[in-house]
Amino acid sequence: MTAVKTEFQPHPASYRDPSGFVFRYDGQWYRQVNASYEPHYRQLMHSGLYAELTRQELLLPYREIEENITGHPYWFKTLLPEQLSLIAYPEEWSPAQLKKAALCTLAISRMAITHGMILKDATPRNIQFVRGKAMLIDSLSFETYDPSLPWVAYRQFCECFLYPLYLQHYQGEGTHRTIIAWPDGIEAAAVAKALPFRSRRNLGVWLHVLLPARVKKSGRSSSAAASGFDKNKMIHLLANLESIIRDLPTDASGAAGWSQYYEKTILSQAYLQEKEKLFRQYLEKIAFSSALDLGANDGYFSWILAEKQASVVAVDSAWQCIDNLVNQLAARKGKNILPLCVDLANPTPATGFMNAERLPFTSRFRSSLVTALALVHHLSLGRNIPLSLVADFFSRLTADNLIIEFVPQSDPKARELLAGRTITGYDKESFESCFGRHYIIETQSSIPGTDRILYLMKKRSA
Amino acid sequence: MYIDPGSGSYLVQVIIAAVLGFLFYFKNLWFRIRTFFKKKKVDSEHDSSQD
Repeated sequence: MTAVKTEFQPHPASYRDPSGFVFRYDGQWYRQVNASYEPHYRQLMHSGLYAELTRQELLLPYREIEENITGHPYWFKTLLPEQLSLIAYPEEWSPAQLKKAALCTLAISRMAITHGMILKDATPRNIQFVRGKAMLIDSLSFETYDPSLPWVAYRQFCECFLYPLYLQHYQGEGTHRTIIAWPDGIEAAAVAKALPFRSRRNLGVWLHVLLPARVKKSGRSSSAAASGFDKNKMIHLLANLESIIRDLPTDASGAAGWSQYYEKTILSQAYLQEKEKLFRQYLEKIAFSSALDLGANDGYFSWILAEKQASVVAVDSAWQCIDNLVNQLAARKGKNILPLCVDLANPTPATGFMNAERLPFTSRFRSSLVTALALVHHLSLGRNIPLSLVADFFSRLTADNLIIEFVPQSDPKARELLAGRTITGYDKESFESCFGRHYIIETQSSIPGTDRILYLMKKRSA
Repeated sequence: MYIDPGSGSYLVQVIIAAVLGFLFYFKNLWFRIRTFFKKKKVDSEHDSSQD
């Protein structure tokens, strides 16, 4: 090799597992398998488990590379996984997505057991939505199954998947807030205190929440009772978790249901049609490979963006909207939309050790096209963020173009947010001057029947 | 991700497995009793229930 070798960069979150680690090299992400993991790795590949999991699109596929890129003496193999263009975190999922990830994890566990292996960890952080499907991305999560032992990842599964879903079922605040507050999972004792009394009618709550909380409190050694487990019991346990999660209602179909929510958030059907017509005209003028739909609501415009074969990220702060879009995607077999639950006035921060394990929202979702329809008034009037800062924020997320709707103070929805106040510095002129600092205004059109204006802007080159 | 082996709540799982095994046993028994009596009662009718 004549070229100078670039240094490999270990992934800042990939330091826990002694079986291997993820690193970046020459513009690609690789995974090193260490020699200590060799027997487990061989079993994964030779038992047919890898083939079966990738066939069912439950595990992210990879290619084996016979080159020791890191130069470590304990190297066994290098894997080059399918490269992902986006990484989203469970802090950004709606309950429906967490549920899909949980069922994916349990399906993998069940399949692993039939191949003599088991998942040694069970965290939503190992799952990504790829082509609309929940997939395990950590190929070192498997180990040889010892039928005499219970599931080593049981507690982690409950704390990271089951408990946030129980809290969602009984409180309906979305699972993302629970995960932001408890990034490594919420303990049984905290959940037991937070669940309402009526949850005591549920056998699953008794078994998986109240019992672990009581055992922990009593301080009894858990490994002392490890004997007396077998494969049959393990299958019963996994089936029980699966049926609990599958049958647990976590959506917004209750009294404050989705349709009411949606009706409240739009002006009228005629307005929506006029806006769609303009939106489609604007899209004809530009080319884009990725789109970020900010304030996507139920994803009406995300679907239009997806028609253009772009990879679309649809963001809304309401988990109900994102849940609804996730269910639509499943029903309509949509593969190129990733719906995420993010509050743009407080987007996902950098977290983990040294603030480096998980990147902030702003550095992960920069897209060729950004759309912000009926959103600016929510940020400026609802959350008091000045237009100049909104423009600054959007420009950081935009690579090429922005389609943005301006909603003036005279608009009925803006008046609802203003509640009698008048805000200075929120008008068409200020809007154009603030966004004009970052963008060139290419086209603007009034949306017939309203005071709203739809703009197509091009990012100024830095 | 990686968790320390032994941090799984083994005792909890032993108890849960025992409860589930117990329930499974009685569920099966109940189905068998029901099927037995249903067959006796309505021999000519099609039985659309489980098993």
